[in-house]
Amino acid sequence: MILNFELSEKDRQLLELTQGEEIYYALPLDLDHEGNYLKNSYVVITNRTISVLENGIRKKQYALTDCEEIKSEPQIACGILFVIRNGKEELLGRFSSKHLARFSYAARGAMLLKRGKTQKIESKEYETTCLICGRALPGTKQCPHCEGKKAGVLHELLLMLKPYKIQMIVIFLLMLAASTITLLNPEIQKYLIDDILNAENSTLTQAFICLGIMFSLSIGIIIVNISKSYLCARLGSTISMDLRKRLYEKIQILTLSFINDRRPGELMNRIINDTGRVREFMEDIFCNLFTVVIIFICDIIYMLILDVKLAILAFMFTPISVFVSVAFWKNIHRRFHRQWVKNDDIYSQLQDVISGMSIVKSYGKEGEESQRFDKSSEEFAVIQSRNEVFWAIFYPTLSFIIGAGVFLILYFGGKDVIYGNMTAGELLQFVNYTSLLYMYLNWITNLPRQLMNLVTSIQRIGDVMSQEPQIYDKKNASKLEVKGEIEFQNVSFGYKSYQPVLEHINLKVKPGEMIGLVGASGTGKSTMINLIMHLYEADDGELLVDGKDIREIQLANYHAQIGVVLQETFLFSGTILNNIRFARPDATYEEVIRAAKMANAHDFICRTPDGYNTYVGERGFNLSGGERQRLAIARAILNEPRLLILDEATASLDTESEYLIQKALERLRSGRTTFAIAHRLSTLKDADRLVVIDGHEIAEVGTHNELMEKKGIYYGLVTAQLEMQNTEKN
Amino acid sequence: MQGEEFDLEQMEQETEEMLKVRFLTEKNATFSRTEGGFVSLTVGEEVYSRVHVVRMFPFTDPQHYISIRTPEERSKEIGIIEDIGKLNKDTRSMLEEQMNLRYFTPIIQKIISIKEEYGYAYFDVLTDRGACRFTIHMGGSSIIHLSDTRILISDIDENRFEIPDVDQLTAGERKKLDLFL
Repeated sequence: MILNFELSEKDRQLLELTQGEEIYYALPLDLDHEGNYLKNSYVVITNRTISVLENGIRKKQYALTDCEEIKSEPQIACGILFVIRNGKEELLGRFSSKHLARFSYAARGAMLLKRGKTQKIESKEYETTCLICGRALPGTKQCPHCEGKKAGVLHELLLMLKPYKIQMIVIFLLMLAASTITLLNPEIQKYLIDDILNAENSTLTQAFICLGIMFSLSIGIIIVNISKSYLCARLGSTISMDLRKRLYEKIQILTLSFINDRRPGELMNRIINDTGRVREFMEDIFCNLFTVVIIFICDIIYMLILDVKLAILAFMFTPISVFVSVAFWKNIHRRFHRQWVKNDDIYSQLQDVISGMSIVKSYGKEGEESQRFDKSSEEFAVIQSRNEVFWAIFYPTLSFIIGAGVFLILYFGGKDVIYGNMTAGELLQFVNYTSLLYMYLNWITNLPRQLMNLVTSIQRIGDVMSQEPQIYDKKNASKLEVKGEIEFQNVSFGYKSYQPVLEHINLKVKPGEMIGLVGASGTGKSTMINLIMHLYEADDGELLVDGKDIREIQLANYHAQIGVVLQETFLFSGTILNNIRFARPDATYEEVIRAAKMANAHDFICRTPDGYNTYVGERGFNLSGGERQRLAIARAILNEPRLLILDEATASLDTESEYLIQKALERLRSGRTTFAIAHRLSTLKDADRLVVIDGHEIAEVGTHNELMEKKGIYYGLVTAQLEMQNTEKN
Repeated sequence: MQGEEFDLEQMEQETEEMLKVRFLTEKNATFSRTEGGFVSLTVGEEVYSRVHVVRMFPFTDPQHYISIRTPEERSKEIGIIEDIGKLNKDTRSMLEEQMNLRYFTPIIQKIISIKEEYGYAYFDVLTDRGACRFTIHMGGSSIIHLSDTRILISDIDENRFEIPDVDQLTAGERKKLDLFL
């Protein structure tokens, strides 16, 4: 996303830049204070000042150091930028939603500059619209339209096809054969009529031979087409499978931040729909591409050779038939799109009512809901029947109009035949070629659209493939038997460059120590854990494991030594056994049972109908929250981790299962370095040390008693929770 | 344990206060423009250097039930104005300016063209705020029907546009829009 728009020379002069002053951010203000659209107006932030330029006039300029704060505030479908000077808020400018994200980045950037940090903020977000052609971007960095024509996409397509060279050659030969046969057929028909049926001394045998050739050509084209379709379908499926595989692997390697920045649906879309579109292209379009193009070109040449006058007549008719058919398909598309939207409406309405049935019933609103549904159902029926009628009437009419050129040919050609300027066979041949021309016209006019779809999909795939993972095994990475000493050395980190979550964290944890992380939500407790798990890397400072930089430890090796129990336990679709064995698929049954017993999970597993083979996960056997939690603990025990991470592991559980889980966790923890986050502070009573995080930093460290005596933040949290409990009891 | 009890009382008091509906009138509240282009408020002894002016029913009743709120992220309600029409002219225009600053939904007056391409529709329109081009996703929830004839369009950048009455459009404009109705 662009944060520094190009300014005109005149605008630059308005800024009166001083020595060593540099423009950091320049963003368009596209609305005036009243909300009218504005052009040629900018907010410019340099390392010293913030200025507002409106239509070639410098409206405002303030030194950054004079401002207490520079803020971008989202409004409803727009946003405002203001500064706080001398304790007073002052409106600088207004912008539409289009620039909302830009301004929030720039405002934070300005605050950094104000504090004397000269780092330039960059936004990894993509633009929504191509800045060159104005088209919407389909979730890609580059515009399929502007960049798609360049060699990049073609290159990517060729790379995709490269492993299938031999198949491609075979398909190409088949395409050639298909076009030759298609073009040959009218020639034979002409021969049959002129040289056999219309000739005087021809024999029945000759006619049969001719028919035989025609018959075998027909059979031939069927065989060629079947094998061509088969090969293309196979190629299409293989390529899309290949792409799916590569995409999936890539997405798994990529850093969490790449995945978190995108909606899960979008990545699924790329894996399933975009690869599917490549397959469809291979099957439907590529399969016929050269055949149609060759037929089309040869067809035109043959027609010109046969009869220039008739050929021109036939060509004259093509614009009309193209126009009619394009208009027709556009209309059909609109009609059926509306039908589809209405259908969608009904679907979501049904889903609404059926999932909310208990509410509908308990408020006695069945009647109203039925009426509402009847109404949309009726509307849908009207649209549907209208569309079907339209289709039934106009499709035959369309075919007639498109084919009407043939009547003209028959009329003029027929006259030629009667006057003896043309043979009947030649006329038939010509008519056949004309029909072929019209037949493929529609296909050819549709081709650019299909190609664009393909280019878009390839770009969306390429977009993921070209991402470089930010966390990977460095060259000097080696294995490490983790003992459990973790040290933060002046670590700073933020998910976005302008938003620090942790700053200057220093903490040394001894092997086997249990650390309780405490703080209000959003202060960075989970972030600290994400860093320990090496899902993210510190922006600044070092994280040491047993005295070794975490970046020098092989990822897979390190992760295998961590056990994690989270608040929401995720169970994969599969059996209880597979879920417990997730980290160590080779564990024996006995080991699994021991782990389950340690986790207090064995008994409830035995009560399920299929024991350890019970199917859980989505659409599987329903386990309660506490049971899931205990499975997660068993999973962690089995793995014998050196580091244990408990993120709200006992939140939202009833008292009995909490007791069981507490006991299970105690067993799990013994001798292992443990980091635990809990809102209910009583669950951290066993912690060796408590670390209170506040305002991006470590505020307090110590044992429960030490911190209680200190009467700081921790003391406040504990007393607040005691009060809540008292209120509940009362 | 005495300190704790005191805190508890305070908490209960705060909860009670949240339940109260306080109406602001000319008698109990004074609004004034700030130099910086915002509006400040004095209610009794409370002084707010800047307040947010928020409509509770922006679509169905934009002139009634206006919530006056503190400007921070987890804003609290200071009070409610029942009918902005009943305020004096000066205060009224002041608050309307603030609402105009907050809400931005141009009204489409003329549809020049709608072009459809690869799953997006490109609008070229004339609004009460000037000429504008915007892009929406085809399919999905870009268009919301506020009533049978009133629609709200959200573009890919989450800008909003309103057509107050589709029946007022010309036949040609309606035809262009037909696909989305």
